[in-house]
Amino acid sequence: MTTGDRSVREGWRRRALLATAASGAGLLAAPAVLRAQPAAVKIGLLHPVTGFLAFSGQQCREGALLAIESINATGGIRALGGAKLEPVLGDAQSKPEIGAAEVEKMNESGVAAIVGAYSSAISLATTQSAARYGIPHIVDVGVSDQIVGRGLTNTFRFCPGYGVITEIAIANLVALNEAAGKPARSVMIVHEESLFGTGTAQLLQKELPTRGFEVLEVVKHANPTRDFTNIVLKMKSLDPDLVIPANYYNEYVLLARTMRQQGVRPKGIYSVLGGAASSFKFVAEFPDDAAYIMDCNHWYDPRKPAALELRRKVEAKGLYYTYEVFLAHEAVRLLADALERAGSANRERIVEALATSDWDGHFLPYGPTRFVNGQNQGARPLNTQVLGRNIEVIFPREFATAQPVFPMPRA
Amino acid sequence: MNPAQGERAALVFLVLAAPLPWLVDSGTLVHFGIMVFQAATLGQAWNILGGMGGQFSFGHAAFFGAGAYTTAILQLRFGVDAWSGFFAAILAGAVVALVIGLASFRFGLRGSYFALVTLAFAEVLRILANTLEITGAGVGLLLPLAPGLERLQFADRRGYYLLALFLCAASLLVARAVAGSRLGARLVAVRENEEAASALGVDPFAVKMRAILLSGAMAASVGAFYVQYFLYLDPHIAFGPQVSVEALLGPIVGGPGTVAGPLAGAFLLQLLGEASRALAGGATGANLVVYGIVLILIVRFLPGGLAGLARARAERAGAGS
Repeated sequence: MTTGDRSVREGWRRRALLATAASGAGLLAAPAVLRAQPAAVKIGLLHPVTGFLAFSGQQCREGALLAIESINATGGIRALGGAKLEPVLGDAQSKPEIGAAEVEKMNESGVAAIVGAYSSAISLATTQSAARYGIPHIVDVGVSDQIVGRGLTNTFRFCPGYGVITEIAIANLVALNEAAGKPARSVMIVHEESLFGTGTAQLLQKELPTRGFEVLEVVKHANPTRDFTNIVLKMKSLDPDLVIPANYYNEYVLLARTMRQQGVRPKGIYSVLGGAASSFKFVAEFPDDAAYIMDCNHWYDPRKPAALELRRKVEAKGLYYTYEVFLAHEAVRLLADALERAGSANRERIVEALATSDWDGHFLPYGPTRFVNGQNQGARPLNTQVLGRNIEVIFPREFATAQPVFPMPRA
Repeated sequence: MNPAQGERAALVFLVLAAPLPWLVDSGTLVHFGIMVFQAATLGQAWNILGGMGGQFSFGHAAFFGAGAYTTAILQLRFGVDAWSGFFAAILAGAVVALVIGLASFRFGLRGSYFALVTLAFAEVLRILANTLEITGAGVGLLLPLAPGLERLQFADRRGYYLLALFLCAASLLVARAVAGSRLGARLVAVRENEEAASALGVDPFAVKMRAILLSGAMAASVGAFYVQYFLYLDPHIAFGPQVSVEALLGPIVGGPGTVAGPLAGAFLLQLLGEASRALAGGATGANLVVYGIVLILIVRFLPGGLAGLARARAERAGAGS
């Protein structure tokens, strides 16, 4: 055998080896290419983006879309080979029956799950419709406790319900008052006429007298109300230590402004799910009227960088970082986590994954998720106060970014 | 197309629509059908009083809501079964109609005054429902989800489809019977000229009372159906102005005073709602703009509604031949 022969043979072997290796790599690579483009998972985002709930509905949609955007940008759903999330947008037009119709369309377009629907009335209709098809439905806002616990196994609510919120609000108010040396003894409640205003007022009226407060007056007003002069004049004559408003954004702002114009300055303004009390929009537009207002509301854990990062992103888009935005954002991320756990876009598997979920990667002050009858057990509100043109968390201590200023200074 | 042909077309439409959910497997279609039949029945209720009798009501939500709340309260608070609740709801609609009728027709209220009184009644009922404990105040009422024929809840949505279709067909037959009856002729007489009708021996008060009782009972049946379908009710859903507007929009677009008008109008409006959403695409609210523009065009160019258009075509064809 000549050297030349050997070299030829070696050369051949080398080529053969290379060829085999290349084809093997090719075989391995082919599925990887296929895996890089797995079918997108369709997610229904159903909100009232038109009609009288349009502002809140649009905020929810923005939050949910931002979540999908960031999930897709960071590699999609890993358990599904990096599958992207594809939003299927729905508009409930602020009406339950249109919300139900949108669920039908989403079902036919093959959504794996639905996130929505901001209002309690719409969520009641959409969860029920989605249940017919076994579509997992995460309720992003909707505080009515009737939404969960009526036997719909597809329905999950991440945020706290109304009962828990008012209970915590009252307990925190008592604690806050005691810590300040009990400056507040008399209370006036001003509330709007629908579910949350009426319900809040009823609970407060029942609970506060047992905790050492005297309820001087409960005033109910219609939606919309465009003049609070009479109510504030009454407030002036009663001179309560504490004013508790329970109303939507516009009325809240108007009430606070009228109080300031009339020179009514109680020791504190403390609201439960206050329409404007923990809204950056209110603080930016009317900083003097908003100053020192306290609220017990949906809020993010201010210690989590992700929450602040999202705030920057939202504000960079020219939007306000309201509770609708971050609740819908985290609801979508909860769903993405369930998809990871399920390892499938199958509706039943997602429902199972949600029901047994113990996700703690979110930035809400809830701890790991644990769903009982569809309600996340750790969900709770935080107490905030408008201080120095910002909204600070004042209670409970472990989340607090500032000390409460109560009673508020008499300017 | 003359009115008789229109009626036949409407009945044929309903007969043909009945098996549709079994032929086409689409939840969207079933829901669409339910919404059309519901709007058509409510529109027909308005049509008997407003279209045939010329008594324009802006407050049909009063009847719709009364029916809805009656069956919901009876089931939730008194343990009454859903079927009895349904019939009690129809009765409640008639009772509210009796009160509104007595309070307005007795005192000779007509035209815009009658419209305002009906509007005020619906608003008063909305505020009452928002305040009273029995109606759940602002919190509303939620029926437990428990499918079963005896509870008038259907696990299969097609059950609701058939029920809505049945109500729509019944309302159409009632309207047809009224139109062909002495009551119908008297209603038209009162609509065209109350004094002249009176001079001819027609008792306008009695005629209008009969019409409003019938109308109220029919509208209440739609309210009761709504509760069975969505299982949730609050004061805005039951007595809100959008219900009253839906009640009058269908017949006005379809052809007020005609038997087939409310169904044609309801179908067109629901179709327009869906089409405008598809046309507007992702632009938020653009669908409502499209909807509004088409509505303005219909009212501007078809004052007699779809029925008017059909009549005009028939007349042109008649003149041409």
